[in-house]
Amino acid sequence: MKDMSLEVATVVEDAAEYSFAMEYHGPPITRELPRAVPINVDRIPVAAVVSPLSFSDNLSLPIVQPISATDIIGKKLSKDLKLSSTSAELLTVSPTSVIAFESRNNEVSEGSYSKELGLGTETSVSPSSVGNALDEREPENCHSNDVCALSGELSSDFECCHPDGVVNGANERGYSSVSPDHSCELGGVGTSEALGSLDSFEKSRNSSGSLHKSRLSSGLKGSLDFNESNRTDWASNESVLSMDYLSSRVSSRKFGDGNNESACDVRRVPVVTFCDIESDDENTNEEFSRSEPEVVRAKKEPAVKSNGSMPEGRKCVTCIGYPIDESKRGSLGKCSRMLKRLLNDLEVRQIMKAEKLCEVNQLPPEYIYVNGSPLYHEELIMLQSCPNPPKKLKPGNYWYDKVSGLWGKLAGVQCAGNPHFWVNDDGSYQEEGQKNTKGYIWGKAGTKLLCAVLSLLVPSKSSHPCGEQVTSMISRSMPDYLEQRALQKLLLIGYSGSGTSTIFKQAKILYKDIPFSEDEREQIKLVIQSHVYSYIGILLEGRERFEEESLNNLRQNQSSDGSALAGHVDCNSEKTLYSICPRLKAFSDWLLKIMASGTLEAIFPAASREYAPLVEELWSNPAFHATYKRRSELETLPSVASYFLERAVEILKPDYKPSDVDILYAEHVTSSNGLSCVDFSFPESAYDDDADSGDLHDSLLRFQLIRLQAKGFGENCKWLEMFEDVRIVIFCVSLSDYDQFAIDGDGNAVNKMLLSKKFFENMVTHPTFDQMDFLLVLNKFDLFDQKIEQVPLSLCDWFDDFHPVVSRNRPNNANHPTLGQLGFHYIAVKFKRLYAALTGRKLYVSLVKAMEPNSVDAALKYAREILNWDEDRPNFSLSEYSIYSTEASSLSH
Amino acid sequence: MSVAELKERHMAATETVNSLRDRLRQQRLLLLDTDVAGYARSQGKTPVTFGPTDLVCCRTLQGHTGKVHSLDWTPERNRIVSASQDGRLIVWNALTSQKTHAIKLPCAWVMTCAFSPNGQSVACGGLDSMCSIFNLNTQTDNDGSMPVSRMLSGHKGYVSSCQYVPDEDTHLITASGDHTCVLWDITTGLRTSVFGGEFQSGHTSDVVSVSINGSNSRMFVSGSCDSTARLWDTRVASRAVRTFHGHEGDVNTVKFFPDGNRFGTGSDDGTCRLFDIRTGHQLQVYNQPHGDNEAPHVTSIAFSISGRLLFAGYTNGDCYVWDTLLAQVVLDLGSLQNSHDGRISCLGLSADGSALCTGSWDTNLKTTSVDK
Repeated sequence: MKDMSLEVATVVEDAAEYSFAMEYHGPPITRELPRAVPINVDRIPVAAVVSPLSFSDNLSLPIVQPISATDIIGKKLSKDLKLSSTSAELLTVSPTSVIAFESRNNEVSEGSYSKELGLGTETSVSPSSVGNALDEREPENCHSNDVCALSGELSSDFECCHPDGVVNGANERGYSSVSPDHSCELGGVGTSEALGSLDSFEKSRNSSGSLHKSRLSSGLKGSLDFNESNRTDWASNESVLSMDYLSSRVSSRKFGDGNNESACDVRRVPVVTFCDIESDDENTNEEFSRSEPEVVRAKKEPAVKSNGSMPEGRKCVTCIGYPIDESKRGSLGKCSRMLKRLLNDLEVRQIMKAEKLCEVNQLPPEYIYVNGSPLYHEELIMLQSCPNPPKKLKPGNYWYDKVSGLWGKLAGVQCAGNPHFWVNDDGSYQEEGQKNTKGYIWGKAGTKLLCAVLSLLVPSKSSHPCGEQVTSMISRSMPDYLEQRALQKLLLIGYSGSGTSTIFKQAKILYKDIPFSEDEREQIKLVIQSHVYSYIGILLEGRERFEEESLNNLRQNQSSDGSALAGHVDCNSEKTLYSICPRLKAFSDWLLKIMASGTLEAIFPAASREYAPLVEELWSNPAFHATYKRRSELETLPSVASYFLERAVEILKPDYKPSDVDILYAEHVTSSNGLSCVDFSFPESAYDDDADSGDLHDSLLRFQLIRLQAKGFGENCKWLEMFEDVRIVIFCVSLSDYDQFAIDGDGNAVNKMLLSKKFFENMVTHPTFDQMDFLLVLNKFDLFDQKIEQVPLSLCDWFDDFHPVVSRNRPNNANHPTLGQLGFHYIAVKFKRLYAALTGRKLYVSLVKAMEPNSVDAALKYAREILNWDEDRPNFSLSEYSIYSTEASSLSH
Repeated sequence: MSVAELKERHMAATETVNSLRDRLRQQRLLLLDTDVAGYARSQGKTPVTFGPTDLVCCRTLQGHTGKVHSLDWTPERNRIVSASQDGRLIVWNALTSQKTHAIKLPCAWVMTCAFSPNGQSVACGGLDSMCSIFNLNTQTDNDGSMPVSRMLSGHKGYVSSCQYVPDEDTHLITASGDHTCVLWDITTGLRTSVFGGEFQSGHTSDVVSVSINGSNSRMFVSGSCDSTARLWDTRVASRAVRTFHGHEGDVNTVKFFPDGNRFGTGSDDGTCRLFDIRTGHQLQVYNQPHGDNEAPHVTSIAFSISGRLLFAGYTNGDCYVWDTLLAQVVLDLGSLQNSHDGRISCLGLSADGSALCTGSWDTNLKTTSVDK
């Protein structure tokens, strides 16, 4: 230990004297090097064991741990102890090299002490050692304050993860002799002291202590770097703070002088010391208040935009990619005064967002114990996206009541089943639903007695303020990354016939592993089958009509031909192209009768088995085929009918299983009234093309597509208030509606496009959707593209000024837009103008062919992009933003 | 007959109907000889007064994570069922504020809930256009959902309100956005009768509330967005017994007076009114003038057991206690300490009249003891 500390750790005997670490020039070290933690073991006010044998290990009792810091410190100690035992073998340790030491095995003899300590032996406070520690700390603190002030430390601002600060941040100063005081130094504000200090940096991947990695960096090197880069500012004592420095040059300092202490002291002092939090806190505050203005004065202009330079918020470069210190979770996303002064609003917001949302800063699931077992990552996601997510989740023990689906904190009182009390970790408990504290568990004499009998720990009084402080700190600053993970709701609406159901089904097929359950498929199969029967019915009806027509024609021909061939024609007159045999005729009559009585759906899917052979026969009948060829003359036959009729024989078989495409084509298979919703998330692979800045957190986002039937929308849809939490409204309009008419409430035939427009106006101006983004989906482009060649767009009154410039050689020129595309752009602009006139905002438009999966996928991803822009909107200046929006409006197909 | 001729005739007929309606209203005004407030004052009635301990919030029922939209009490045993936008029904013990059931609904957009008279099952309805019945004796599965014991489907619009026919566990009346009310037979799951809809005497807009007469369960009243309330006889589905005009906005809530001869309404026009079902007269208007800005809408009302007090919840978070006789606000529960933070969306009085429960958009329910 001594060897090492001479070489490695800086000895700070006097504030003015510093020793420089030397670079290691020896032969490469082949074995694993122990972590070099400079430590002042003597001053550690820690718990040690009174009598490790006072109770047996297999006695399983609920144990309240007084303060988790001791646990960690104990573990750290064990490593230090090990360090001391192994340090003799160590030849030299270079301060510049990264010395990693992984203590995988805590079962070593020294380590077991700390384990027992963690289990909570009876401990007492040794006043002498506390006093000692405090006494010794005072001058040191003063010293550190000075240095802090001079060097402009941002010790609170920057998220430095070091295990000592875990759980009890406020205790940090108390253990300052143990824990290297990691504060991030921002630039060398030229003092000679800063040069001499050893910058050490330590980080932990896992604060439980199983995997420790520490790094000692040369203070010499770091300080020199600063000097070089800031040479121009040296004289004026004013250096420019750039965000690059924030993220890259952040290094930490250490004021410990733990070289001349021996590790065995720990065994000698079997005490738990709880630091006096308040005084420590004051110290820290004092330190901050002294240091902050200094830095602010020194660094006035942030040179680099924060955007992108701080991918994980206020972390030093070496910490990036590692989880944050759990005790500092509470301050995630909470900007400090310092940062606010240094940076402008946008930058601060950007940093805070990065800090809240980056993957490694998320709450690690293994810290959350639910009903006694740690969570897995998937479970955490599930939990956070459940309809009743726990608020303010932080590491700890929780209970989950399956009966009620409710959450609570767990601290000792059994809460499963019917929870009556909510217990907080300071021992107070409240009756559920009540605010007033009923009492303190530890305040009861009986409890204390019981604890004493069972040799359980009773939290000492001094731990209360610290516990409260920590919890209050955490609850005060609730990290809102949870909200970001929550379900993003997309509301899909449109006038009836606009294809919302197809888009909904398409989304199900696209994003769900099992888009339709077996039951649903069975249901859909019945619906499709009864549809096919009704299509056949319509065809048979048409056949009758055609037969009659052709008979009439025949008779006319006959009469015009004269009576010469009368006898011959007579026998043929009853047979035309559209005639069918009597058996099929009977079936046809029966089917038409049923259809007329409106009981088709009651009879048909059930009777399918019986009549399927008949349909097969019918399908092969030339008369039926002749009718089918003239299906365009049958107005009542929907356009999708041919898709099903082509495969009628197959579909009507009892073992028919509807494919996804069949379901897409089928009408009325989603619940005919009310609403339907589907939860999904975009698959990971979708990120190759459109993820611009590694927004990895996006993959966590879950979406819910809610489809609402237009039928329920009256004049005053009060219940739209229920959808105030949707993020975006996807309004669906069928492009091919422009020549369609529907009967409105007054019995007048109104153009369906105009009805859509009216509905659009209603929705856009609805108070619930104030400030809501709208994505207009112009659907059925495939149909529209064909139709517009035959039917002019100006058929709809709204589009009467559509005069496209069409070049003659259009079909030959691939670059020239088709009439359909021109029409689409025209309609999109019409809607955009309408929207802008109503709200003054921008309408997003997407072109969709709902039958094509990629098209729907693109539209929904576009919706997601809009949501992303929405979040980033404050971060772009207006001009930048408008670039985005023009890109959005100039759609590619 | 040509179309033009038909249209002309239709116009003429509409005009006649309107003039007849007008005459009816005139006639009714002539006949209206009761001035409840004036009479009460002349009889020396003074407004009800409350001491500081008379109406005290005694329990806060916390547990919902979304806006509470509806609540209902059991006839006995002091239990409350509440429906919230978080997609759950929670059954509470109002005395201990414990939750006995938390049912996750298949459709999260629930608007109404009701307790069956025997307290064994709850019904709820919402945007899924169905009324779902849950038997409270069935076990919930792991994620908190419970099998639906009966699905009443047939409405073509959202189910806005439902109430069990008193003392009949097998019958339920729902109001819906498809302009109809439906009497259901729960055992078969079929519609017994449909009120309104195609018939001209029915509501012409979404029906948003129903209330069944406590003393004569064959009669019920419905309130609708056509700003009328209609009285129905379950035996005569073809036409409404009576239509009550008066409100100038959607009638959001209707509630029968304890004696069954009157009912109260609350509307978007910010007023509550009291109607007499025998004469068809409007007896009283409860209107608190609200200065320049628009009056807050009435969301829900309830009468005290004696009928002397009318509790009315408003969109701005107020909850007025009206003296029904003198038409004066005697207390604003919203101004009391630890009142709701958001809009009062629903309120209900326990069957014995001893407690009032209010549900709010602040996700909480609060019970208040009522002494008078």
